[in-house]
Amino acid sequence: MAEETLDAGNKAPLTRPSSELTHLADLYRQMFLIRRLEEEAARAYSTGKIGGFLHLYIGQEAVGVGAIAALKKDDYVITTYRDHGIAIAKGMSSRALMAELYGKVTGCSKGLGGSMHMFDKDHHMLGGYGIVGGHIPLAAGVAFASKYRNDGRVTLCFFGEGAVSIGGFHEGLSLAALWKLPIVFICENNEYSMGTPLSRSMSVEDVSMKALGYGVDRDRFFCEDVLEVERRIGEAVLRARETSMPTLVEVRTYRFRGHSMSDPAKYRTQAELDEHKRRDPVHRARTDLVTRGFVEARVAELEASVEAEVVDALKFAEESAEPEAALLAQTTYDGPFAS
Amino acid sequence: MATRQLRYREALREAMIEEMERDPNVFLMGEEVGHYQGAYKVSEGMLEKFGEKRVVDTPIAESGFAGVGVGAAMVGLRPIIEFMTWNFSAVAFDQILNNAAKVRQMSGGQFSCPIVFRGPNASARQVGSQHSHAMEHFYATVPGLKVVAPAFPKDAKGLMKAAIRDDNPVLVMESETLYSVKGDVPDDLSDVVIGKAQIARPGKDVTLIAYSRATHIALDAATELEKVGISAEVVDLRSLRPLDEDTICDSVRRTHRAVVVHEGWPYGGVGAEIVDRIQRLAFDSLEAPVLRVTTLDVGMPYNAKLEQLCMPQKERVVAAVTKVVSRGRA
Amino acid sequence: MAKILDMPKLSPTMEEGVLAIWHKKEGDVVGVDDLLAEVETDKATMEFRSFDKGALLKILVAPGATVKLGQPVAVIGEPGEDVSALLASIAGAAPAADPPPAKEAAKEGTTAAPVSEEAPKTLAPPPAQPAQAAQAAVPQRPRAPKDALAFLTRTEQLEDDMPVTPVNGAKALASPFVRSRARELGVDLGNIAGTGKHGRVLPEDLAQTRAITVSNAQSGAVGPTQALARATHTLAEPKLVPLSPMRRTIAKRLVQSKQTVPHFYLQIDVRAEALVTLRESINAELAREKPKGDAAPKKISVNDLLVKAVATALVRVPECNAQFSDEGLLYHQRVDISVAVAVPDGLVTPVVRDADKKSVVHIAEEVRDLAARARQKKLKPEEMSDGTFSISNLGMFGIDQFSAVINPPEGAILAVGQVRDEPVVEDGVVKPGKRLALTLSCDHRVIDGAVGASFLAELRALIEHPMRVLTG
Repeated sequence: MAEETLDAGNKAPLTRPSSELTHLADLYRQMFLIRRLEEEAARAYSTGKIGGFLHLYIGQEAVGVGAIAALKKDDYVITTYRDHGIAIAKGMSSRALMAELYGKVTGCSKGLGGSMHMFDKDHHMLGGYGIVGGHIPLAAGVAFASKYRNDGRVTLCFFGEGAVSIGGFHEGLSLAALWKLPIVFICENNEYSMGTPLSRSMSVEDVSMKALGYGVDRDRFFCEDVLEVERRIGEAVLRARETSMPTLVEVRTYRFRGHSMSDPAKYRTQAELDEHKRRDPVHRARTDLVTRGFVEARVAELEASVEAEVVDALKFAEESAEPEAALLAQTTYDGPFAS
Repeated sequence: MATRQLRYREALREAMIEEMERDPNVFLMGEEVGHYQGAYKVSEGMLEKFGEKRVVDTPIAESGFAGVGVGAAMVGLRPIIEFMTWNFSAVAFDQILNNAAKVRQMSGGQFSCPIVFRGPNASARQVGSQHSHAMEHFYATVPGLKVVAPAFPKDAKGLMKAAIRDDNPVLVMESETLYSVKGDVPDDLSDVVIGKAQIARPGKDVTLIAYSRATHIALDAATELEKVGISAEVVDLRSLRPLDEDTICDSVRRTHRAVVVHEGWPYGGVGAEIVDRIQRLAFDSLEAPVLRVTTLDVGMPYNAKLEQLCMPQKERVVAAVTKVVSRGRA
Repeated sequence: MAKILDMPKLSPTMEEGVLAIWHKKEGDVVGVDDLLAEVETDKATMEFRSFDKGALLKILVAPGATVKLGQPVAVIGEPGEDVSALLASIAGAAPAADPPPAKEAAKEGTTAAPVSEEAPKTLAPPPAQPAQAAQAAVPQRPRAPKDALAFLTRTEQLEDDMPVTPVNGAKALASPFVRSRARELGVDLGNIAGTGKHGRVLPEDLAQTRAITVSNAQSGAVGPTQALARATHTLAEPKLVPLSPMRRTIAKRLVQSKQTVPHFYLQIDVRAEALVTLRESINAELAREKPKGDAAPKKISVNDLLVKAVATALVRVPECNAQFSDEGLLYHQRVDISVAVAVPDGLVTPVVRDADKKSVVHIAEEVRDLAARARQKKLKPEEMSDGTFSISNLGMFGIDQFSAVINPPEGAILAVGQVRDEPVVEDGVVKPGKRLALTLSCDHRVIDGAVGASFLAELRALIEHPMRVLTG
């Protein structure tokens, strides 16, 4: 089959099983979908259809997509406010995501959560959280529950390198290590905690070193290839699943946009940004895909399907109703409102 | 129905044990709850009964283990998180405020957080400023949380069981100085529900509204007032959120006067909330403004006499009642 | 030198402890931090360790005894030291409490908290520190805050009970409760002499309205609590029927009338045979008229004749068709008669306009229509306002004679009783007759006795010679 014939210049093995190519195509589709959804979200934000904060994942897609690819369906994921890509990778529909950004009742959180709070119980997506580091003990608690029930599930906890300075990170990691919980802590080090570079926020350059003090395994790598992310995180997931030991993984990445929509990102140079964009893991995946034999026409077809999905999500979000005020009471308490 | 005499701490313990026996998803977590047998012996014997899996000692990391509790609750366990004192919950405030209270709404109702946070609250005896704070006022203001503060062993047991069974975060405010108090605890606790106050003592001339340890102060004051011919009704709130405004206002409509008694500070807080309900819902019944007898508006001092001065006292309650019953009289 | 060991404080809230077991016996050598005994506190069983080196010379408390904080439990000193003087010095001190009943101790177990039958007094102020125990002068109770501390107890202070400065007329000082009760009772607080400070109206001051009964008739100075008792303990327990808007209006307007209008009353008893006869003949005439469609035949009542008679009398004595106002006396240019009509939850007063210019039959039709619609609550407000004179007739209820309250702002009201069969003397002969009692209530500010009397004289003439009513 054509896609199994590889370019002679590629360092990869001469043949790859078609299932792996299909798998890469699937990951590329997810990344491309996330990128396109977020680009359109940014556009909608600029016209006032999306309000509040909007923290884009553009540039970091391969981290979430690669890591979640290493999970089983029932495993848990929890992350920060930069959560759109993670939610899509964990299985949330484009419609539910976009409608939530639009504040519509058809959104994943019925329009009550917004950009920073993407929850999807059916897909075990435990949400995005707005207080830096505040979700890390929660993640430990979810893993605690898995161990308590012996349900064999693994929890992935994403956070940025900015969170490594706050207590929640240390207490969460400390307890997970102490109690040997099945969890993987993934620090997405995108070099800037908001506008502060790592060099001005931490005494060490290597975030994964924080694992040493807690006696847990660590890993550290640059995110360039989504399959490499999947493989490396996969090791940690296996460790969690089979030995119930946590791992701290630092994934070096880069966000192409500002911290949020209101951030002009003047703290970094255009040259630095351009350099990173040249190594865009989404483009890398596309190139790999074609290079390894996935014909261009099929890539185009795949991209066309993404465009159609994005258009559908936008239309769905536009046309959906806003939540009724009556929703507020019932989502504040389980049962009658307690005033 | 049988009734036994139990201490407040025993009542709490019994409630936890019964619920843990009933539901394997319930577990107790906190500092020194297991091997040490509980800093105040509330969990004494529970480690031996349930093992380390369900009676979990933690390091000193309130934010961490409070968050662990929230995460576990989100995926179906029913944690009981003990704070050695509610003062220490200050470092876990983010977990309670931003996660436990809000996850349900943030997720559009997909996730709930059936968790109990419990521990002794407010002053003990000369434990100084950082161990004497009454924290319920902070928490009762947060939608998504329920806050209860039992005064008697019966209510301690009933409310603890109700809290564990509730599908919302419930904060149980105990009191170190009540742990040894004995009281009747019937087998049937069906009348103890979250959100329902009780008339701890009926009266006609003035309503004293209190909870937790302050209920006992109010009862002492009522006994004192009876000697001078003033009949004081004591409403024991039991639950601070939800607040039983019907029982409060029904009483004030009968007595036409009210004095709120609680530990904690006068600025804002539960007492101010009660005053709001009374002026809004029973305005036409009032014969006098509503007064509040609270902790004095300073940090809690260590010195024993000054500590007593700062804490609400029977004498101050009696004085406040005397003011409201003689209001405007020649 | 020998010293006494007191029950130590082993927990922050401990006030007494049960000496569970001694780990040293008398004569044993004791080192610093050696375990002397175990004590059950309110929290747990605690270790009582020695702070001293020496020998345990005397044990003062048997196992199982409850001992207050700071009470002696043992004596420690040099081996063989004579402690008799020391023991004598504490002989007068309170002995330790008796051991608890054995069965309860067993029930509680060894690690249980103390089992004193008294519930631990954890709510009381702290005990004296052991070192202070002898200093009886040290006050344990918090002192009332001095002025310097007043800012700390401001939620316990009342606002000053200041007199109210009158704005736009007198304004009563009263609580929300009293104001609320006064509204229910239709009482103007400005008319009540309050017995509270600065003339404040107290709940018991409302008792004069009869809604509150005062059982405590004790007069003279009463303390706040006694006054309170009068206010709150003496309410009967009647069934409460909430005030309807109509009841509120009646209460308000009639209280206003009786309290602000100086009423006086003039009574006459008139012969009514002619009036009754006239009515019967008119009705007989009307019955012969063929009613249109299925309408009931027309009929007039004695009251309709009286409305016409009163209207006519008012035209003749216009000083009685008047009302008082602060600007001056108003003499009406129209004769609009208000007719009191009983309805299920009160009464209303629809107005027959220009009654002097209408025929009796016309008046009868109009009154019947107004009364019917009044009972259905279908009258418009303008049909019940701006009368110039009222008639209230309770004859149909068997009332012989009564006095009515003026319907403000009108100046007078005529109360009409029933037509009574009575023997009358005519030309020296007693014969059956009919009489009718009329009482005129007048606002003395506008109608004086002579004016009222001349009106009644006109009215009597009209009633006793009723053809004049028809001819005007």
